[in-house]
Amino acid sequence: MAHAVISCLHANHAALEAVLADIDQQGIDTITCLGDLVGYGPQPNEVVELIRQRAIPTCQGCWDEDIIEGLNACDCSYPSQLAERRGHLAHQWTAEQLSEENKAFLASLPMSLRRDRLLFVHGSPNSQHEYLLPNMDAFAALERVETAGADTLFCGHTHHPYVRELRDGSIRVRVQEGVASGGPSVEREINLPVRRIINAGSVGEPRHGNTNATYVVHDEATDSVEIREVTYDVERTCRAIVESGLPAIFAWRLRHGFEYAERADDASHVCER
Amino acid sequence: MARWALISGLRGDLEVYEAIQEELRQTRRVDTLFVLGDVIGPARNCDALLSRLQQPRRGELQPQCLFGWWEDQLLAERGYRGGRRADALRLSQGETAVDALLQAVDPGHMGWLAELQFGFIELDCALLHASSATVEDSLGPDSSPLLLLDRLTRMEVNRLFTARSGQQFSIELTGGGIESQVRDLEGQRHQQQSVPKRQVIGIGAGVNYTIYDPGTDRFDFLTAGSRSQERARGFA
Repeated sequence: MAHAVISCLHANHAALEAVLADIDQQGIDTITCLGDLVGYGPQPNEVVELIRQRAIPTCQGCWDEDIIEGLNACDCSYPSQLAERRGHLAHQWTAEQLSEENKAFLASLPMSLRRDRLLFVHGSPNSQHEYLLPNMDAFAALERVETAGADTLFCGHTHHPYVRELRDGSIRVRVQEGVASGGPSVEREINLPVRRIINAGSVGEPRHGNTNATYVVHDEATDSVEIREVTYDVERTCRAIVESGLPAIFAWRLRHGFEYAERADDASHVCER
Repeated sequence: MARWALISGLRGDLEVYEAIQEELRQTRRVDTLFVLGDVIGPARNCDALLSRLQQPRRGELQPQCLFGWWEDQLLAERGYRGGRRADALRLSQGETAVDALLQAVDPGHMGWLAELQFGFIELDCALLHASSATVEDSLGPDSSPLLLLDRLTRMEVNRLFTARSGQQFSIELTGGGIESQVRDLEGQRHQQQSVPKRQVIGIGAGVNYTIYDPGTDRFDFLTAGSRSQERARGFA
């Protein structure tokens, strides 16, 4: 059975409509959403309501959490003070726009979803704010999946779709313990399991170099993964951003498919908050 | 180069602290004393030890202190951790233990306790009560090497000194590797990574403590009060 995984919708209604249409066209009826329904984009209520209307199982993203609980990310979320100010503006605007009902929905979202050995999170099993970038330390990446008791971890947050398989891993250690004088050391080696991280990219704010929305389709029968790109009416969203009074740079980013703000410099950093 | 003494888990025991200070003064050629948390506990009144840590006697090493699990629980219960309370203690040992902990420390010490840090980075070493993940993380000889490597990687250090388990141990990561394959919209890339040579050292608790010489990278696991039947042993 094939299932689709979407993430980081960021209040971009046109992109979400296009992605859902693409999923429907393939006859896929199991969809999982990895959060960040709101933030940056101009249609937070419309996007939340579409997810609710379609009854798509969703876990909570960092923006969804912050809108409910107040801004509480540490400085790691922003590479510059300018980016941080823009992020705060978007936060304030979104909080004002969202209906109480939709806020309550965001507050009700779980941190993670699990289906057998598949785990779905926004950032990492540790935190909605942690970035699992494709080039992060391979052992640290494997630890995130293994410690969470999963074979495959679906995540988002980076806005960069990828599939990463971690295999043929081993660690040798020399252990010395006890209080006896000259305590002996013991050598041992563990073989690490094969694990996989699948990042769904972003529906509403792609950062992979072009303007297409991305998501992934995982076929459980063949265990294959397809990264899907979907075109949508980018200008419609860009116009709405400008008309809503959000920072115009958010529209510029969408038109170019990349952006330098709101990206952690250190992928292994765990937000302490 | 200066040698370090690393102690933890005093749980209010001033006598043990004095015994270690005396031993360091007489024999160990140590000039830095790190106290990796758990200076308090519910079993005895901790005020005398807390006062001594804040005001060392003449000739004693000035202790560099971190907060540990017990301090974290007390700080939480006293309202220093936002909305969190001593839930972990309450869950594991019950309300009686929470009350005993509150009774064991005079509120006048809370300001000093609240100023204690989570960890120190010295040279290429992390000095922590537990690990870089949380103050509860108990690392020991049976911990998964993958987890140990993760805790070292998070801090970007070559050695992690930890106290939470109360055990004295050394785990060296000596070899191994991993392969990974990344596929994205630009194509497919293959990566190989080796295990870096790093180490986790459990320093012990109470009378059991550790001496580290950064100049020679030599460790000694010691037990205070056992000089007559020297139990120290080192390894480079």
